[in-house]
Amino acid sequence: MSDKVVPIIKLYDYLIVPIQIELDDITVEKLQMQLLNEISAKKARGVILDVSMVDVIDSYISYVLSETAAMAKAMGCHTVICKIQPNVALTLAQMGIKLENVYTANSLESALEILNQLD
Amino acid sequence: MIKVKNINDFSVDTEDYDLVLKIRQEADIAVARQMVKDFAKKNGFSLADVTKIATVVSELSRNIQRYAKKGYICARKKHGKDGNVLLEVLAYDNGPGIKDVELAVTGGYTTSQRSLGLGLSGVRRLMDTFKIISEEGKGTIVITEIRRRTF
Repeated sequence: MSDKVVPIIKLYDYLIVPIQIELDDITVEKLQMQLLNEISAKKARGVILDVSMVDVIDSYISYVLSETAAMAKAMGCHTVICKIQPNVALTLAQMGIKLENVYTANSLESALEILNQLD
Repeated sequence: MIKVKNINDFSVDTEDYDLVLKIRQEADIAVARQMVKDFAKKNGFSLADVTKIATVVSELSRNIQRYAKKGYICARKKHGKDGNVLLEVLAYDNGPGIKDVELAVTGGYTTSQRSLGLGLSGVRRLMDTFKIISEEGKGTIVITEIRRRTF
């Protein structure tokens, strides 16, 4: 079984990651490993996680995403989470969950803009 | 299947529920989430509430898997006194129980590594009613309800 759970598109120094699978505990941990490996292999300076297809983000998934971003940061790579669904945003806010170590954007364009400004 | 569990003189009869899902391994969390989500959708809950319910099931089933190893997630449709439709989610296990329930539902408190400690407190915030029955060494029952809102 492959440990790769998402397609990763390289664009300049950035990695664009559309998450089109349901994020359960096993998948989110595989995602973390895959991302860190690719950041290292591709010498990426920024990662954009497109979560527009993800319809549940709970406290553990939030934790792993923030943790991954902290790890990426340690490797010199910024993380932007892009296109969180309105209902997911509502749920996260009501639960009092804050995504840490990440930038957020509502489109791929503004995600790229954020990363460009960081350089 | 009839199963009666008794924790602190509180018993649960799984016969009373529309959905009864076993939680045995990590993969069951996603299954439970999906099943209860479909059940809520079928019963006319809004997309916002369906997302909340799916998140609640995710949190409760993870707690079962993480602390008790195994347990059940049950769900049913109920009618409130005022004719409102409610969805009840119940989680029960015969795990170690919770020493300090008040503390466990406080945001930011956790006994495990790699956790925000916002699971149970988050569930309480997302739902309309929330109750925990727990006895050390015997297990934990969480009962929580959400009203169907009409816009």
